[in-house]
Amino acid sequence: MRLRAGISAALASAAILLVGWQAGAQVTESNASAVTTSAAGNTAGTAGGTASGTGSTAKGTTGSSASGSSSGTGAGSSSSTGSSSSSTLGASAKAGGTYAGTAVETRFGTVQVQVTIKAGVITDVTALHLTDQEQRSVQISARAAPLLRSEVLSAQSANVQTIGGATFTSEAYLTSLQAALDAAHF
Amino acid sequence: MKSQLLASPGQRVGTSPGQPPVPARRNPTRGRFAAQHRRRMFRTDMLTVALWASLAAALALWLADGGMSSVGNLTQAVTAVGILAGLAGMDLVFLMLLLAARLPFVDGAVGHDRALEFHRKLGKPALYLLLAHGLLLATGYGMAEGLNPVSEAVALWTLVPDMWLAFVSMALFIAVVVTSLVAVRHRFPYEFWYFVHLLTYLAVAVALPHQFSVGGLFAEGTWQRWYWLLLYIGTGSALAWFRIARPVIATYRHQLTVRRVVPLVPGVFSIEMSGLRLNELSGNGGRFFVWRFLAPGMWWQAHPFSLSAEPQVGKSSRQPTLRITVRNLGAGSARLASLKPGTKVAIEGPYGVFSTAARSREHVVMIGAGIGITPLRALLESTPFAPGQATVLLRCSSTEELFLGDEILELCRKRGATLFHLTGPRSANTQSAWLPASAGTSRLRDFVPDITDADVYICGPSAWARLVLAEAKASGVREEQLHYERFDW
Ligand SMILES: Cc1cc2nc3c(=O)[nH]c(=O)nc-3n(C[C@H](O)[C@H](O)[C@H](O)COP(=O)(O)OP(=O)(O)OC[C@H]3O[C@@H](n4cnc5c(N)ncnc54)[C@H](O)[C@@H]3O)c2cc1C
Repeated sequence: MRLRAGISAALASAAILLVGWQAGAQVTESNASAVTTSAAGNTAGTAGGTASGTGSTAKGTTGSSASGSSSGTGAGSSSSTGSSSSSTLGASAKAGGTYAGTAVETRFGTVQVQVTIKAGVITDVTALHLTDQEQRSVQISARAAPLLRSEVLSAQSANVQTIGGATFTSEAYLTSLQAALDAAHF
Repeated sequence: MKSQLLASPGQRVGTSPGQPPVPARRNPTRGRFAAQHRRRMFRTDMLTVALWASLAAALALWLADGGMSSVGNLTQAVTAVGILAGLAGMDLVFLMLLLAARLPFVDGAVGHDRALEFHRKLGKPALYLLLAHGLLLATGYGMAEGLNPVSEAVALWTLVPDMWLAFVSMALFIAVVVTSLVAVRHRFPYEFWYFVHLLTYLAVAVALPHQFSVGGLFAEGTWQRWYWLLLYIGTGSALAWFRIARPVIATYRHQLTVRRVVPLVPGVFSIEMSGLRLNELSGNGGRFFVWRFLAPGMWWQAHPFSLSAEPQVGKSSRQPTLRITVRNLGAGSARLASLKPGTKVAIEGPYGVFSTAARSREHVVMIGAGIGITPLRALLESTPFAPGQATVLLRCSSTEELFLGDEILELCRKRGATLFHLTGPRSANTQSAWLPASAGTSRLRDFVPDITDADVYICGPSAWARLVLAEAKASGVREEQLHYERFDW
């Protein structure tokens, strides 16, 4: 390698890495604010539908992996806007209700969703917890969740394609969803 | 004194009277080849820069994604290094493919053989990086989930979509690199190595899905995904165009057919071919094509052979012809002796910079041995020099091996080049073992006093060529003035 080439190559590479690093620092900053807003949004969303702070409840149950889904036998009391942690059974299923799926552990964090069913139709899917273990995961799940939600709503099942680039999140999301649907005998 | 050096037939064809040698130009930045040389050096430098820049860019993809901020603990650090290793490894694989893609820009700057030499050098680093990628991610993910790397790898294989393809890809990469190690390669026929090597394309293809679906870096909607996709598409199209489309087009365009096979001495023969528009393939003596003779039992073997004469574009009534001169070094090349006139020929090329394109000085020295004499014959025919500015050294153990010797002698006479025949058994003097014993203590400089101001073209058996190169360097010839073609691989 000639000296001139070596020096130019070193300079060019250094410049590229520097630009990348700078861009990365900016991405991190803007993400940080995105995370806080979306977190706020989530809480508001769930709070609207449930009686109490679902977010923390869901988190609490994640440890025990098989959370609210099938445990709430005979509760029966849940209305269409019932709390996520108390799920329902049997007859009430077709009528509707809100059911939380299992919390699924992935290498990027826990995923848990809750499904709302009205008159035998999936009307909403809310994420109680999404992959958040790395900067990147937050971004990915923030992007994948709405896509998955709309696909699930149109497919009316957990039988939808995973989102490219968000395999882990998608798989976990759909697994959790399926558990919720199973609990609802949907 | 020099005539003593000459064993049989002892010709030294000097400059013709009245044309004294032109004094050596001291300033290499002037002269008719200077601009061409500067351009070529610039291109070479650009390639070096592009190479390193692409590697930096691969790592920058991750940095720009906020990669650094995700490294908080050991687990994340292991994972991060694993990701970076994958990016760098894959970038090297792309570079390797591009180096093997016969890009005219690369071929014209450094030549086909050096591009491939560099391609080979990248093989092991690429494999090590990809292996590190797999191991580090299995470890990093495993640490995050409390699994050992092995169970993590099993979990990845079975549970994560597309991951099994990544494992298959890794196995293919290992197979390709292992069969390319020199020690392993020579145990198998060239064709076996070649077909295993084709698996690279499969390995690269099946590595793609997991990069896009499992790796978050290339998630849908990211510009990183587009960059990576462009690398895939760009490399793929370059290969498809330059290694498939262009050869097919050239084959149809020039319609080469074997005209005759002319035996020179036992085991050495010239193949003459006629075709259309051969002038388009000319003008750069010493380059080579990859030939495929479309006859039963031969068509599946492709051999590189240099032109041994500039294409003869008939002023006379004769059809335009191309000629190569072949020594049977193996079963495949031996079969070519029995080629029938009329056999169709598929070509790839021309390739290489063993030609006027590599000239940087007014003076030129050509040193050949064995079958390596033949491309020098083509170069001597066409490369520009004034009488007295060229020296030709032909080394062979017996006069019989002086392939095309008569033609070369004739050309030297006509163009005013100095010719030495260095015939006889090898010198015992280890320093100048490339010379015959009869040369005594002579060195390269004794034959070519102004060699430091000349382009030196060397072609012959690699062990011999290494000695010549070493001596040329020792005589003060700079690397960029040395041009050599390797016939082995
Ligand atoms: C750029 C270049 C120019 C060449 N020009 C000439 C020439 O003008 N005249 C000439 O006689 N020979 C030339 N050769 C060498 C020639 O290509 C090989 O000798 C020939 O391919 C041997 O084929 P084979 O099947 O008979 O040999 P094998 O029995 O397979 O092996 C004989 C030797 O040839 C090598 N070889 C075989 N196939 C290839 C291949 N496709 N590419 C590279 N090496 C191979 C083997 O490693 C071995 O050293 C050139 C080689 C290169 C790379």
